[in-house]
Amino acid sequence: MKRRGWTRLLAAGLVGVLSVGLLAGCGSEKETLHIYSWADNFDPEVLKDFEEKFDVKVTYDNYANNEDLLAKINAGGSGYDLIQPSDYMVKTMIESDLLEPLDMNNIPNFENISDTFKDPSYDPGNQYSIVYTTGVTGIAYNTKYIQDEINSWEDLWNPEYKGKVLLLDDNREVIGLALKKLGKSNSTTDEAEITAAVEELKTLLPNVLAFDTDSIKQKMMQEEGWIASVWSGDAAFIAAENPDVAYVVPEEGATIFSDNYAIPKGAKNKELAEKFINFMLEPEVSAKNFEYIGYSNPNTKAMEFHSEDYRNNTMINLTDEELARTEWLDNVGEALQLYDRLWSELKSGR
Amino acid sequence: MRNSRFLLPPVLLWLSLFLVIPMLIVVGISFLSRDTLGRVVFEFNLEGYRTFFDPLYLGIYWDTLVLSLLTTVICLLVSYPLAYYIANASPRVQTWGLVLITIPFWINFLIRTYAWVLLLRTQGVVNSALLWLGWIDEPIQMLYTYGAVLMGMVYNFIPFMVLPIYVALEQMDKRLLDAASDLGASRWKAFLHVTLPQSKSGIMTGAVLVYVSTSGMFVVTDILGGAKSTMISNIIQTQFLGARNWPFGAALSVIFVVTSLILILLFNRAMQARHQRVGEGRA
Repeated sequence: MKRRGWTRLLAAGLVGVLSVGLLAGCGSEKETLHIYSWADNFDPEVLKDFEEKFDVKVTYDNYANNEDLLAKINAGGSGYDLIQPSDYMVKTMIESDLLEPLDMNNIPNFENISDTFKDPSYDPGNQYSIVYTTGVTGIAYNTKYIQDEINSWEDLWNPEYKGKVLLLDDNREVIGLALKKLGKSNSTTDEAEITAAVEELKTLLPNVLAFDTDSIKQKMMQEEGWIASVWSGDAAFIAAENPDVAYVVPEEGATIFSDNYAIPKGAKNKELAEKFINFMLEPEVSAKNFEYIGYSNPNTKAMEFHSEDYRNNTMINLTDEELARTEWLDNVGEALQLYDRLWSELKSGR
Repeated sequence: MRNSRFLLPPVLLWLSLFLVIPMLIVVGISFLSRDTLGRVVFEFNLEGYRTFFDPLYLGIYWDTLVLSLLTTVICLLVSYPLAYYIANASPRVQTWGLVLITIPFWINFLIRTYAWVLLLRTQGVVNSALLWLGWIDEPIQMLYTYGAVLMGMVYNFIPFMVLPIYVALEQMDKRLLDAASDLGASRWKAFLHVTLPQSKSGIMTGAVLVYVSTSGMFVVTDILGGAKSTMISNIIQTQFLGARNWPFGAALSVIFVVTSLILILLFNRAMQARHQRVGEGRA
């Protein structure tokens, strides 16, 4: 879940103020698990259940994007025991030697996870991470304004949607979708391919209403935009508020992403963090948690505890065919500078 | 006061800890290199400064300058009459005017900016009202345009311009105007040759405050402009986060601070030169 934004920062600020207040009022010497993750990423009741069951305390701080997380962990001495980096960030952190290897003896419930999400390309053999939630960047569109059948990235270029297209404010995601449209890998390092994708996007500009990651959901719910590139979990969120909104994983393929459990190097309570991961993977706990946050649950054993509504939601539970045409974003090394430069070029209209 | 020199060290310590030293670190990083993972490496490198002269980044810097200057000029045109009115009103009106101008500061900047989204969006207050009145047939696209960004900037920074001008006008010796009138100057002439030069310090302070705040702003372009126009501060932000190119981000910051200082100095010079000319003319 890569939702980020000012709302999150505000939320983080509030959480910070609240936790300072709580800490000030509490002088106990209980073992404490320090979690650093996205805002609203857990059902607070589930965290409380964990505190009671293991007689420990949980603190929960928020970051707004992977880069903030990286900066904090890179600086060292953060004091966190559990973090939730996205796929490509897991890889970056492994390469920068920032993660502790997981002791799977403490996490037997790892078995409950769907085989599809075990042994991911960004962390072969799950040495450092376990998937928490996943999603796919597809197309959400409002059927009130769009009667045509939507099934391709090409549809964003339809001149009838002039000024009604919303895109994520994220260079890898958006250049990635243009690469997919051209039938290339979303993580290519080939300069010609990246340039071609950005040239393609320049022809999309007249249709673009806004670039937005923070509040693209609100813009779709309030019908500012008709059609948008969104994360499947966000699409589910939008559709719950505005039933006219439909979602599709385009036929050319799309980017799949995940958020993961990981333990930063030097964590003081590594074992407790592993216990926490194991607890969260208990089928019933897992179901309760994901009913609350409304994202996709890769825990196969938890399915029977989920509600009918959750199980039948096609935006939360993507089919195997849909997943088959997705690709993870991979680190692109030095080519990231080219992505960044061309992205500035695109957005400044040059 | 004999002991007043003891009041200085805390401020100096604060400034050096949280302004001077961080700025020196930024300057230092701007001359270093980065590795593929984005970590800063201790190796001398001028790449960041070289990249700035790429037409792309020069262009974005130019756009930033234009938007900031435009904002400053509009703020001045809107604020001067307002400050003039308040400064010459009865004490009661003065108090109320100042309170009304400062009230927006009690509300978080982001919330104020998001409020404009509620007003301007397709299903927002303005469009709904116009549709209801029958003045338009379909919503006007006001949000996510250059106009919305400019409006948001002007809106947010008007108090920065009004307050210094008000202070300057308020402190002015009103007897000078009587003198001008006694010597046969029309009200307009008196304004041009007495009031305006006297309020110059206020205009200067206001203009610098608005210019510096606007040129360093990146949230307004994101929220009201739909992130479609890019300012130099957006680029700096991405270099430190998404692009993981700290040396380039640091170099941009240094260039940004230095050029802003130069502009402000030039502006000060120009204003003082004019002041002297006017002064001589009067004598």
